[in-house]
Amino acid sequence: MLSAQERAHVTQVWDLIAGHEAPFGAELLLRLFTVYPSTKTYFKHLGDPLDEVQLLSHGQRVLEAVGVAVRHMDNLRAALSPLADLHAHVLRVDPTNFPLLIQCFQVVLASHLQGEYTVEMQAVWDKFLTALAVVLTEKYR
Amino acid sequence: MVHLTGEEKSGLTALWAKVNVEEIGGEALGRLLVVYPWTQRFFEHFGDLSSADAVMKNPKVQAHGKKVLASFGEGLKHLDNLKGTFATLSELHCDKLHVDPENFRLLGNVLVVVLARHFGKEFTPELQTAYQKVVAGVANALAHKYH
Repeated sequence: MLSAQERAHVTQVWDLIAGHEAPFGAELLLRLFTVYPSTKTYFKHLGDPLDEVQLLSHGQRVLEAVGVAVRHMDNLRAALSPLADLHAHVLRVDPTNFPLLIQCFQVVLASHLQGEYTVEMQAVWDKFLTALAVVLTEKYR
Repeated sequence: MVHLTGEEKSGLTALWAKVNVEEIGGEALGRLLVVYPWTQRFFEHFGDLSSADAVMKNPKVQAHGKKVLASFGEGLKHLDNLKGTFATLSELHCDKLHVDPENFRLLGNVLVVVLARHFGKEFTPELQTAYQKVVAGVANALAHKYH
């Protein structure tokens, strides 16, 4: 549950990256695969070596889903239900990978927003992205 | 043992030379206490931790953050023997401080985010990789003597 203050921080940060879903998402995935190579096992379709066009396309998809979550903070479960089904029945990404993605997300936010990335924003986004991951893995069993 | 390529090692060292240990240390510890508030359980004697602002400006948090990061910096000089370097500190954190080693992993991750914040684009995926390896190595070294 996010307070009104926390929801404001979520939106504040999102407004700074909205419109840049593709490059942000691509960098997010690049960092994930570089820092945590085992995560590549879920993305064979992105090619080896990584295809840049695919990376941008998939990165955009991931960030657009985050955008959906931002717009439906009050009801993540309903808004992300199709994605939760996808992750539970098709993708089956081991839940331990989501904290790795979240760490890379924090690094992308911090390195781009720098002086503007306050401790409150970092705290709220950690809470928000963790809640998102819980919803995506909730139907696993 | 931390396995860094020659390039990772030189990149890591070059970046560390630009780090203000007092500033980054204080910020990393402060952000840990705010982002993961349960970590405050070890610092009840630090005084006012009642708000994000209070934590970030708390002089004891700043001082302790500096101490922790200085110790981490020492570790960077002994990447071939982190377990040996942090043996005494490991015993201290187990026997006297009773700190769950998970906290070392959390602090390591926050430190990486703080470095990204300070260095921006310069903090490339390759540099992140090097630092994530080192913070994981230090966390393991600090947990090594637990019993």
